Amino acid sequence: MTSGTITDGPALREPHTPDSRLGHGADYLHAEHTLRSWFFTTDHKRIALLYLASITAFFVIGAVTAGLVRLALVVPDGQVFTNDTYNKLFTIHGVVMVWFFLIPSIPATFGNFLIPLMIGARDLAFPKLNLASWYVFMTGALFTLASVVLGGVDTGWTFYTPLSTAFSNTWVVPALIGVTIVGFSSILTGLNFVVTIHTMRAPGMTWFRLPIFVWTHYATSLIFLLATPVITVALILLIAERAFHIGVFDPAYGGDPVLFQHLFWFYSHPAVYIMVLPGMGVISEIVPAFAQKKLFGYKFVAYAAIGLASVTFFVWGHHMFVNGQSDFASVAFSVLSFAVAVPSAVKVYNWTATIHKGSLKLDTPMLYAMGYIGLFVLGGLTGLYLATLAINQHVHATYFVVAHFHYIMVGGTVLAFLGGLHFWWPKITGRMYIEAWGRISAFLIFIGFNVTFFPQFILGYLGMPRRYHVYPPEFQFLNILSSAGSTILAVGYLFPMVYLVYSIWFGKRAPANPWDAKGLEWTVPSPPPAHNFLTEPVAPKVPYDYPLQAQETGRQHS
Amino acid sequence: MFGTSDERRTLWRHMREPVLTAGALLVMLGINVGLGATLPVPHVWIVELLVAAVMVATILWFSMEVRHEPPLVKLFAGIGFFWVGILFTMTLVDYLSRG
Amino acid sequence: MSAGASDSAVGVKLVSHFATVEQQKRAAVLGMWAWLLTELLLFAGLFLTALILRLLHPEAVQEAARHLKFWIGAINTVVLIGSSLTMSGAIQLSRLGWQRGMVRFMLATAALGTLFLLLKGYEYYADYQEHMMPFLSDRPYELKDSPPSRLFVNLYYVATSLHGLHLMTGITILLVMTWQASRPGFLGQHQNRIEIFGLYWHFIDLIWILAFPTLYVLNR
Repeated sequence: MTSGTITDGPALREPHTPDSRLGHGADYLHAEHTLRSWFFTTDHKRIALLYLASITAFFVIGAVTAGLVRLALVVPDGQVFTNDTYNKLFTIHGVVMVWFFLIPSIPATFGNFLIPLMIGARDLAFPKLNLASWYVFMTGALFTLASVVLGGVDTGWTFYTPLSTAFSNTWVVPALIGVTIVGFSSILTGLNFVVTIHTMRAPGMTWFRLPIFVWTHYATSLIFLLATPVITVALILLIAERAFHIGVFDPAYGGDPVLFQHLFWFYSHPAVYIMVLPGMGVISEIVPAFAQKKLFGYKFVAYAAIGLASVTFFVWGHHMFVNGQSDFASVAFSVLSFAVAVPSAVKVYNWTATIHKGSLKLDTPMLYAMGYIGLFVLGGLTGLYLATLAINQHVHATYFVVAHFHYIMVGGTVLAFLGGLHFWWPKITGRMYIEAWGRISAFLIFIGFNVTFFPQFILGYLGMPRRYHVYPPEFQFLNILSSAGSTILAVGYLFPMVYLVYSIWFGKRAPANPWDAKGLEWTVPSPPPAHNFLTEPVAPKVPYDYPLQAQETGRQHS
Repeated sequence: MFGTSDERRTLWRHMREPVLTAGALLVMLGINVGLGATLPVPHVWIVELLVAAVMVATILWFSMEVRHEPPLVKLFAGIGFFWVGILFTMTLVDYLSRG
Repeated sequence: MSAGASDSAVGVKLVSHFATVEQQKRAAVLGMWAWLLTELLLFAGLFLTALILRLLHPEAVQEAARHLKFWIGAINTVVLIGSSLTMSGAIQLSRLGWQRGMVRFMLATAALGTLFLLLKGYEYYADYQEHMMPFLSDRPYELKDSPPSRLFVNLYYVATSLHGLHLMTGITILLVMTWQASRPGFLGQHQNRIEIFGLYWHFIDLIWILAFPTLYVLNR
């Protein structure tokens, strides 16, 4: 299965270049050793690792607050925390997970690391801007984190006015400023990707030879560029209203808070696809590699990415069905929302068709990918329930919604992130993790996730509202089940943090291509050299040129 | 400032287009200011909006030299306005249909 | 004096991660256009707010708009159109390699931008004098009988100050670049920076061309 030799031995602690690398120059991890060479690096691979470390830290913070929220919900009478503390906890969880983990997660780490390698470029188009985006991200994120932890914010991650501008007594303004700043880092990342994918492709690397990962990141970057500024201006208007009384939404003077929601969701609905599309890119790389089969319907998957990124801008009103928007608008947004299901389904069918009759290897990344496909289907279908006006009236702002978007964001994005992390870990670090532990934690996460969130569909359907910690006693059983599931999930998250870090020092050396995968990133040594390619990269004639291929003619059903 | 007549001729050859563009923009601004100051007919805002749109197109096409750019840049220059259109249209679907 | 015509070499120095200068120049142009996309969407949110306020409260918005300093706004538009012309001049001369003339055009551009900000500052001062600052708690608001008019006036301040912030950033970058560009050899290495910055400057002009009618003209 492997195309190179694996030797044992320590990696980062090594004082000298290993023999296998002599004459090639040091890889990007060993090129320089000073702190300065990390914090002022313009190498896209090192910046990806800076992002990986920071978002992992934010993930831990978000996960701990989620654990505390689940702890509070074990008892129905709300005795664990005060109301204010509970409000602040779920706000920290939402703000940190959405803005500081999910949105940058796959693009800023794997996107940064892999896009230049996949298209055959030496770096992104603007390396200094890339580094700047990390500093902007850290500035905004730490600023927000300080304000939500030290002072606390109780508005939820959505910052709806007039709660955020007139009634909340918490540190809303610093949190808003921080989130606004983080938006700029998304914009800079997106700008860099768009320009890189347009102008830096190696000779012969045409659009339809690009991996789907690059396509989905292109689509994501377009959303970064076109949607983020709108929420920036909406947040600026909130800051002006709260800090300086220069307001435009204040209902006391005849303003319309629903207008804020329009501006907010013009970004925040497409932001769902900022979180989902990169994950789809990851899955589209993993599935063909572990089925050893050409990706089914490559062009459809590619177009579906662009289709999703466009259609998603027409549907934001489905978050506002009961918020005072006109009935006609609700009908229009509802109908348009169903259109999103089409490109999503195209992708799911194509992955399934790729797996069909493939030569399957159920290694860790593939386990995550298959978990992703199942959970994404469940999350997507319940999204259609929510887009239906009549059902939405019943389940709006209940745990049904909470369960739905966790199926998309955790079942989707987080599983894709972990799948990608295991898939490219050998490339990034030059080390193999212990496969058995990988599989065990993949199973734990899948089981823990479902035990945590499936009861929430039932809770929501029975009428338990979100954002309350006092609830009728008859909901206690399902809530305890959900909290119990979250402990399984927590263990599943802890394992990779241990065995992956362990592998950096003690793991087996990774060959250039441990999975027999196709794609330019697997043609360079693991870890890649500082300047990516030792020889001029040669673009493949066809993408995903795996040995197996779906039969284009002939009878499929016998 | 520019000594020889050769230089002046070169300068004018290169500056003719920017000068004409600025002139056209000033004329259109004059129209809009005149309409805004006098309000000659009801719903004059339709005309004013059209004039402003032509001014924007002029800046893009001539000042920012989009007409000399490859198709990709032309697309980028236009796509933002298309997305602004989405934002406005879908929001107006709500506000124009409120009872 | 034939100052402007002291021709210098014109070109762009290759940065190592690009394969060709042509590729590097294309990336820079595309990068600026991508940035301008975000700027357009940013201001679009404010223009949309203006439109919705107008739809919700037509009389109040008209009353507020009639208190804006229409003529200062108009003169400021002329100033910005002039600054666009001088910026175009700087770009044209940078292509010819006429460094000193280019520097003068750049200084003129910065001067016109500053003039815009000064006029804007005077306009704010006049607004203050006329009690058109509803957010000041110690100063009664002129149109207090029309609460919704506050919203439009507030939007006017947010939109114009955000535009002013962009202009101020532009002037700062322009002055730094003018200082760099006045040294010998600049045009031989970084000629395209002038063009890229020019795109930004023209675009701030474009935003004002939209903001002026949106705030001052259409609602009269």
